[in-house]
Amino acid sequence: MSTMSLNTLSPYISEILLALMLVCVAWATLFDRHLLRACSMFVVFALTLTLAWWRLQTPWLAFAELIFGGVLTSLAFFYVLGVVPLASPLLPKRDGLVETWSHAGVRAVLALSWLALLLVALYALTPTFADAFEGNPLIVAGAVMVASGLGAFALHRHLLRRLLAFNVLGSGVFLFLAGLAGTLVKVQALIVVGLLVAWLGTLLGALLIRRIYMLQGQQALADGDAKEAE
Amino acid sequence: MIARWGLWEVPLPALASTSWLMMISVLLPVALGVLGSCFPPRRVWPVLLAGTSLMAVGVALLASVMMAGAQLVSFSLGSIPIALRLNGVAVLMLLVTQLIAVATALYTPGMLRQMAPLALGRWLWGLMGALVATLSLIWMAVDLLTLYFALELMGLCAVGMLLLSGKSDALVAGTRYLLLALVGSLAYLLGVALILGRWETLSLIALAEQHVSGPVAWIAAALMGAGLALKAALFPLHAWLAPVHVNAWTPVSALHAALVIKASLYILLMLWSLLLPASEAVPFMMAVLGTLAIVWGGLSAWRADSLKVLVASSTVAQLGYLMLVFPLLLAPDISAQAQQLAWEGYWLLLIGHALAKAAMFMAAGNLIFATGESTLKGLAGTSRRLPLSLLVFGLASVTLMGLPPSAGFIAKWQLLHAMILTTQWWMVVVLLMGTLLTAAYVFRLFRYSFIDSAPRHEFKRLSPEMDVIALFLALAALMLGLFAYWPLTLLEGGL
Repeated sequence: MSTMSLNTLSPYISEILLALMLVCVAWATLFDRHLLRACSMFVVFALTLTLAWWRLQTPWLAFAELIFGGVLTSLAFFYVLGVVPLASPLLPKRDGLVETWSHAGVRAVLALSWLALLLVALYALTPTFADAFEGNPLIVAGAVMVASGLGAFALHRHLLRRLLAFNVLGSGVFLFLAGLAGTLVKVQALIVVGLLVAWLGTLLGALLIRRIYMLQGQQALADGDAKEAE
Repeated sequence: MIARWGLWEVPLPALASTSWLMMISVLLPVALGVLGSCFPPRRVWPVLLAGTSLMAVGVALLASVMMAGAQLVSFSLGSIPIALRLNGVAVLMLLVTQLIAVATALYTPGMLRQMAPLALGRWLWGLMGALVATLSLIWMAVDLLTLYFALELMGLCAVGMLLLSGKSDALVAGTRYLLLALVGSLAYLLGVALILGRWETLSLIALAEQHVSGPVAWIAAALMGAGLALKAALFPLHAWLAPVHVNAWTPVSALHAALVIKASLYILLMLWSLLLPASEAVPFMMAVLGTLAIVWGGLSAWRADSLKVLVASSTVAQLGYLMLVFPLLLAPDISAQAQQLAWEGYWLLLIGHALAKAAMFMAAGNLIFATGESTLKGLAGTSRRLPLSLLVFGLASVTLMGLPPSAGFIAKWQLLHAMILTTQWWMVVVLLMGTLLTAAYVFRLFRYSFIDSAPRHEFKRLSPEMDVIALFLALAALMLGLFAYWPLTLLEGGL
């Protein structure tokens, strides 16, 4: 840090701020039980990520993220909620399923072990541990997003929240990928394919969740262990 | 091990005709699928015509490999390098894919005709075409980007097909499968991120040249392994499999169990051969999980009430055999002879299972359709009325149990030989125990079917081709054992 000149300091700080904001918005998306708020947070998340791609000097990825994440995927989420199209029946506002402490604890351990795994990989890939953190705040944000996204995916039973968690997890993976491998054309190609597939998957998931809700009501939206046990 | 995948001693550039044929083998199924969606065939003969043209491409590729050996096509889209290679394993899997796809496509018009007119039936053709294209791409691709693209597209097509039955249970099971498959691909992508970060290449051939090893390779192998194991329904990540099959249409189940889950397993084994060249612990762990899969899958098939759950659980158990072989293929201290035997047995078992499981799902679908019952008890008394469907089920079981002369028998014989050569006696015990469990759950169905005191049902009539095609696949699995010489020459080194 001390060797950095003032010129490089300010972009560095803005990158740290961007990384912090990404993580905070991701957590708000993942852990808000109020579904409309969580989905709105996802829009903010996608816009922040667009900014991050812009900062990494990949305008094409910023554009793709804006279109696929900010517009199309967000629309899919609002479609599930019943916000669009207007006058369609709304989904219940909150996810009322309460997870037990043991259930949540196991998921937290899972998320932390993933984070540890990714940080070990990061450590093995960069010459010194300090470089791994100081040089790439966005990679670390990506790793944290992957771990928390995965933890939330395993924790939640509400299908919409699992879909949100999948999207945050995906964005974390893309950020981690770009941070580790640079922004070569082939990396960008991988990420664009990933964004496209994530959007297609989310769209299919959104149509399905909506249809399940219309056919079977709210109960059916709880997926997971409770049903497996039957 | 890497040489067997056609990644070492880099194959020659492909003949011009071969690269065209490879492209056609991927694009033709898509075109046929679109055609089928626009003009859904109501009879068998147009499907047969289209299927013959597809198989002709596969046979031409086979001829090319037999004559010119393994070949590589590399080109770039923009500045993104793409590499496809054709070797013995790839062409074998390609042919099996085309054969099973054509058989399921031939089965489909009969099934759709028997059910009430369905608007969704139209979609099946397009999805089936795209699925076959992505599978063909997976067998041939040797770069991580193409594999990722094909894997994702295959997953989405598979989910779409499984949902077509439209029952609400199918939707719930399908949504869970969709979410898990998507997350599985992200784990794969994380592994790709590590590989790109460390070795800066997506090409598997370049990775093979660099002798990758070390902690980054292990973590990448773990991440990719976890994602692909989830998609392949390997024990203990198999819970999504049975609910998905219970509600799906018969040809969809057949394609899914025969090919889709095998594609993930194929990629898993290929990547681990590269990333874990000298690991003993990981393949051993897979073998232990495989043992548990054989026991668990066998027991749940034995206890199943529903016929489709029985068949799906049997898939979990059969995948267990394929996991059990991992140490013989990947561990460093295995002699070349034992490894070759295990390699041959592995593919023969996989192909035999693909053919037999497709036949078994069709037979099960026919039984369920004709009786209107999906439980084993409901099938009581079917032996007199539906002997052909039961015969198909029995023939397919012969392969699954590994009785002579089936492909399953030859495969298990090779594997036993390899296990004895490496003195892995516990694996021998597991293999034999699995056979007994298979026999136990298969004979349970036959016990119910021979109950004579059952009340008479009104049985629906099946289209004749529905039984004939299932019989053809079951016989193919059986005959593959007699003609095993031919696929085994393709699997020998060099090709």
